[in-house]
Amino acid sequence: MNDTSRRWILLAAALAIPAALVVTWARAAQARLDATQGAAREVATASVSNDAYCTPELKAIVRRVAGACGLLDGGGGGRGCQPLQARKVAALSGSDFNALFRPLAHRAHIVQFDPTKAELDPAARALVEKAWSDQRGASFFFVVSRASPDGDEQYNEALSRDRAKAVLDHLDARFHDEDLRKQVGLLWLGEEFAQLPTEFCGWDRSRAGACSHADINRSAFVAWIDCAI
Amino acid sequence: MTTHDPAFTEHLHGEPPGREEPRAGRPPPGRRAAFPRAAVAVALAGALLGAVFAALSTSDFMQHLDRQVHAIHCSFLPGAAKDVAASGCRTVMMSPYSSLFRESLWGGIPVSLWALAVFAFLAYRAALLLWRRQASAGDAKVLLAAAALPVAMSVLFGAVSIFLLEAVCKVCIGIYAASALCFAGALLAYRAVRAAPGEARFAAALLEGTALVAAVTLAYVASVPRPDPRTSTQGCGALVHAEDGAGVMIPLTASAGGTPSVEVLDPLCASCKAFDARLAASSLGERLDLKGVLFPLDSRCNWMVTEAIHPGACAVSEAVLCAAGVGQGPKNAAAAGAVLRWAFARQTELRALGARDEAGLRAEIEREFPAVAGCLGGALVRSKLTKSLRWAVANAIPVLTPQLFVGDARMCDEDTDLGLEYTLSRMLSPEAAQERARRRAAEPPRPPPPPPRADLQASAAAAPPEVEPQLRTPAAPRAVEAPPAAPGAEAPPPPPSPAEAVQDEARPGPAPEPTPSPSDAESPAETPKPSHVETER
Repeated sequence: MNDTSRRWILLAAALAIPAALVVTWARAAQARLDATQGAAREVATASVSNDAYCTPELKAIVRRVAGACGLLDGGGGGRGCQPLQARKVAALSGSDFNALFRPLAHRAHIVQFDPTKAELDPAARALVEKAWSDQRGASFFFVVSRASPDGDEQYNEALSRDRAKAVLDHLDARFHDEDLRKQVGLLWLGEEFAQLPTEFCGWDRSRAGACSHADINRSAFVAWIDCAI
Repeated sequence: MTTHDPAFTEHLHGEPPGREEPRAGRPPPGRRAAFPRAAVAVALAGALLGAVFAALSTSDFMQHLDRQVHAIHCSFLPGAAKDVAASGCRTVMMSPYSSLFRESLWGGIPVSLWALAVFAFLAYRAALLLWRRQASAGDAKVLLAAAALPVAMSVLFGAVSIFLLEAVCKVCIGIYAASALCFAGALLAYRAVRAAPGEARFAAALLEGTALVAAVTLAYVASVPRPDPRTSTQGCGALVHAEDGAGVMIPLTASAGGTPSVEVLDPLCASCKAFDARLAASSLGERLDLKGVLFPLDSRCNWMVTEAIHPGACAVSEAVLCAAGVGQGPKNAAAAGAVLRWAFARQTELRALGARDEAGLRAEIEREFPAVAGCLGGALVRSKLTKSLRWAVANAIPVLTPQLFVGDARMCDEDTDLGLEYTLSRMLSPEAAQERARRRAAEPPRPPPPPPRADLQASAAAAPPEVEPQLRTPAAPRAVEAPPAAPGAEAPPPPPSPAEAVQDEARPGPAPEPTPSPSDAESPAETPKPSHVETER
């Protein structure tokens, strides 16, 4: 075999082997690409929360309250529900209404007020801020305010409304959040509906120490609701 | 023939004639030296070893042309230790230095492909000499010159790897070593035969080598998968609410006239760090006016993940937001960038600390960036981080990082590594911008922005449910009586804006529940007593 033949044999091998490898790898990549195109991707899409405690009953309440209290189109159009409305939209007894919120024990906070007062003290303000900043994937922030049964029913209704509004005003002033208007639902219950039993004294409150039935109801219950409705 | 004629040997003083010593270490001209088989064999071995390493590297690169993530080789032993995890080899392969012409061809042409061709050429030249069993000085000189090329490239790419990428690639080191071995063999062979006759035919060798490299390159270009031209220009999906109403975006890079772009990122995500490095290394990055949206994949703040994929990412994200400023004013891009760079540089350590002791991580952040103390962990920044995550919800983007949106078009995930330059160059083209504008024009008009706060405060409170939605706008005050407020108390806030109603209506859920009856809703509210009347006691 002469030198020229050797040269061509080796040169052909030096060319053919890399080229064949490249073409083989490229075809394999093309085949895999063809196989994966159009295949469904298993990547979750960003969405709001819908926690396990969102029972159909709770969702119904949330939706009714959100609608009647001005959060949803087709609702009452106002900001907040009065006791009559609340009783109607809940369509439940007071104890059943409270029971719906028991699964929120890890999410809810109880802001307490002085008798006859609707002003937030520093601890109450801090608790409201803490509650608001813990939104995560929740869609609605409920403020359910009450008054103790001591005294006049009409006055207590107005007082509970002022307490709910005090929470809203503080959130507005502190966070300047335009989403407030579509996320905060106010429900003021006065003394007429769904008074809290003292077992709620064990929840996260703005005040430590003694907690009577009157104390726990001079309050605003604040919680994000992790329900997609 | 050896002579013992005294006329020729008297200067040896009776010693037997021996071999003439070369002058100054060089053999006399015109003498054919012994064929340096061992040296050429070493050069061939180096060339073959380099070809194997280069082939492995090319194979690893090319398998990613299917736009998926694969295990790659990363070992000094050819073919061993194929791993899908992050490694220096992956960092180098995904870097813009691993291939050229990336803007013209998806992924570009890998440098290792040319290394494969050059080593194949060297193997051919060395094998030819071995087969001939003879080598001229010219042949050896050509081999030496050709072997110098991968050595020079090894020095260049080794420097890039160490100083620019700060990564060490074992397969690359294998190539560097093979280059040195081949060069050493070629050098020894040249030294052995440099006195042998024969001119170096550089032109012919250069022609052969160039033809070989060109042919292999042509085979590559002709056979690689082609991307979908539509997704290359328009991406995979688009933002529906690109605006930053909550002020959650962090300025990352700013270029005058750059295309507004958004990167969704997690400061403790290794892919985000790598993507950031690729974008920074790309000249196309300068054409982006890039803002970042933090999307920590950590269940402590992100309800969309069930576990802390990147433990501590929430705390670090808060630190970035604190550094940028949680208010609505201009963001401090430099401060936010400093926190982000710090987090990228110490990801592994911070993730470990976050998993072990998040309070410790927060303390570490405050030690490093004292300016964020007082903000980190506070209600404002936590709320801001939630807003950042909810920006992702509003746009229904996939739960993954990183993501890049050019204009409002989302770059396909498979284009964010090897195909970054190719895809970015197309998404930044005037044609792509025109297409995005056409698409936006074809969309139905967006709902109007929320009304000014002053108007909202002026609106009334409760209204009956049967009021038509169009009447319940701030511009159309209701004629329904609002319940009187207590002295000193403001009226309750107004109903939601039309935009809010549209969003809520659009939210999936069960059939609407019945609303209160008109009679109940219209029940007149009782006038409260003055607040000074203390009856709640």
